[in-house]
Amino acid sequence: MATATVPEFKLVLVGDGGTGKTTFVKRHRSGEFEKKYIATVGVQVHPITFQTTHGVICFNTWDTAGQEKFGGLRDGYYIQGQCAIIMFDVTSRITYKSVPNWHRDLTRVCENIPIVLCGNKVDVKERKVKAKTITFHRKKNLQYYDISAKSNFNFEKPFLWLARKLVGDANLQFTAAPALQPPSAEIDPALMQQYQQELDQAAAQPLPDDDDDDM
Amino acid sequence: MSDDKQTTPTVEETQAPAAAEEVEPSTEVHFEPVVKLAEVETKTLEEDEKVFFKLRAKLFRFDKENSEWKERGTGDVKLLQHKTTHNIRILMRRDKTLKICANHLIAEDMTLSPNIGSERSWVWNVAADFSEGEACHEMLAIRFSNAENALLFKEKFNLARENNAAIKKGDEPLVKLSESEDQKEESQPKPEETPAKEEEPKKNDE
Repeated sequence: MATATVPEFKLVLVGDGGTGKTTFVKRHRSGEFEKKYIATVGVQVHPITFQTTHGVICFNTWDTAGQEKFGGLRDGYYIQGQCAIIMFDVTSRITYKSVPNWHRDLTRVCENIPIVLCGNKVDVKERKVKAKTITFHRKKNLQYYDISAKSNFNFEKPFLWLARKLVGDANLQFTAAPALQPPSAEIDPALMQQYQQELDQAAAQPLPDDDDDDM
Repeated sequence: MSDDKQTTPTVEETQAPAAAEEVEPSTEVHFEPVVKLAEVETKTLEEDEKVFFKLRAKLFRFDKENSEWKERGTGDVKLLQHKTTHNIRILMRRDKTLKICANHLIAEDMTLSPNIGSERSWVWNVAADFSEGEACHEMLAIRFSNAENALLFKEKFNLARENNAAIKKGDEPLVKLSESEDQKEESQPKPEETPAKEEEPKKNDE
């Protein structure tokens, strides 16, 4: 069963530097929320899989450099893109102003693909790009979502909408992946002791950010 | 009784963050589908288990390389007892995407210890966690909404551990769930689904 080929889609993720593209990808891959900003150079491709009512699907997500100086071969990244996410930061007007440029570059290479426009960082109270000023998606028939990679608000929506379009079923849902029965493991006591020491050190480190809006 | 939704994810209507706003949607357009996929039934592989305990939590894993705790997921942490082996495992899925972020048996050597400065979180060692499908050593931390819930979890976790140890020795399982008891989870504290809404300041555009 596991050998059945998983349908893969090339997803191109673009937007200005610092809008949260890589953080969004990491959130989906490992659950983590990366606070540090490290500019992406060129492109990094990450497979992001979902269990759906229509089986497993995989978005090969091309996380591209937002900063011009780290850009590289834009068109090369876009070629054969089957869907896209354009991201901006609702706390930075300039990143919204760049959206038409990203859209133009993208659609010059990828004609008529489903695209989601995402306004990220809506957890931040000092929002600068207000709802009524967000109109670009209506002119170009993009789907729009307010999202927050930090609080997870709507974070699954862009992928869900794209999946529905790519598969052609508006009723597609994400479903629970099979949770294999974990076998019991016999562990070497020496190794266990080493793990315990590591844990003692880990326990001395505080957990990140305890505002827990999502709990 | 009205809320028997243990088969579906609990939080469908997510709390909108303070600055979320209603943006006018664009008109629905048609795209030619890239693939045709039939609907399929997927097993969760929880079918042969009963829920011994369930509570909302946030899970973290320790990243040794950078020596820091990293978030792993927010959702319901569940202690599930197998109907035939009676072993209890811990299973946690992330909200919305339902991806697995913890999946392991509660072994004899697992002890919940406090995390510095927090009375609502615990850390523990997992020699073999199967979230990703194959055995992986993880140091995990779990945080609850308050200290009470953290203590409640610890009590159940410890009971599950003793239960599994008894089975291993060939003794009777300590935890026996009857058919009806499965529903117990519903009486556990639920996620607060409303409070985040109250801060909707919203109207100060312009």
